[in-house]
Amino acid sequence: MSDACEFLERRTTGDDGESFDHERPYCTAVDAFVQPMRADVCTKRYGLDPESDCEYYREAKDLGSITDASGVDAAGDDS
Amino acid sequence: MSYDDYHAGKPLIVTAALTGGVHGKEANPNVPETPEEVAEAAAAAEEAGASILHLHAREDSGERAFSTERFQELTDAVRAATDDVIIQHSTGGTAAPDALRAEPLRTDPAPEMASLDMGPLNRYQHLTSENTRALVDALHEEMQSRGIKPELEVFNGGHLNESLRIWDDLDDPPYVNLVFGGGTTTIPSPRNLVNMVDNLPEGTEFNVLAFGPHQLPLTTMGILMGGHVRVGLEDNLYYEKGTQAESNAQLVERTVRIATELGRPVATTAEAREILDL
Repeated sequence: MSDACEFLERRTTGDDGESFDHERPYCTAVDAFVQPMRADVCTKRYGLDPESDCEYYREAKDLGSITDASGVDAAGDDS
Repeated sequence: MSYDDYHAGKPLIVTAALTGGVHGKEANPNVPETPEEVAEAAAAAEEAGASILHLHAREDSGERAFSTERFQELTDAVRAATDDVIIQHSTGGTAAPDALRAEPLRTDPAPEMASLDMGPLNRYQHLTSENTRALVDALHEEMQSRGIKPELEVFNGGHLNESLRIWDDLDDPPYVNLVFGGGTTTIPSPRNLVNMVDNLPEGTEFNVLAFGPHQLPLTTMGILMGGHVRVGLEDNLYYEKGTQAESNAQLVERTVRIATELGRPVATTAEAREILDL
């Protein structure tokens, strides 16, 4: 099982007809090739995770605000 | 550096940022990504007048690479394709582990220069390139041990404060890259460029980097203010509104043409080394 984002594909051609010599990361959530930096989130490199680090994933999965997470302890005053 | 330097005919150092790591061919198919493509772009940029080449390594898929091995492959290809340019490796890397950030410094030979991000900046909706003081100090220390001159990446005014924290440890002349654009970078405006330059300590050499449509006007202003400039597809994908740039060399050629028209000579690589005391 791939550990990458479920919306990640590797493609050489896009829906708009663009074509590349090498396979590139493609996001099926937004139907677009992914910027290289963002691809590190898609592939979960460096501890990144689409669930916490990608707005496209969160929107596609309807995860809501990052402050909606349950079980968060009441934090001290950080202001 | 000042307007007086412009009038005195101080040579202009042109840096070409050939590829970067944020966007790639998905944004402009002319962005070079593989070592072979970057080397070809490097040769053309040198021919056009660039004396410093700012390099990021990538995988063939365009994704970011930080390993010494990939940087070695890249720098070997660039050195083989160019005559005599100053190689500057990026140590930037949003979300990459701190240990990876030093890998680009460990090629053989070491790059003459490397970028040093001076503080945090936001990326997208959820990412931040932290660039903690501990990391800045560690990278700077390794640069010093390898004889690599840092280019201080000042993405905003707060990063100039952070630069002053290590100022006394820098070799003369300190070289500061003033960055203008969106997000965490300094708001791009002539007034802000003047203010940032006014805040630089005496003896600083500065470079102007402005993203997208601000590249042309603010680098031109930098030429007149006695600074140096960075252009290239890493920072700007367009030649003019609605028209993608054909190549890095095209952007360098325009800068050289403007500088020449303004009476500012473009530095040879030897002159750039002299100015920066490499």
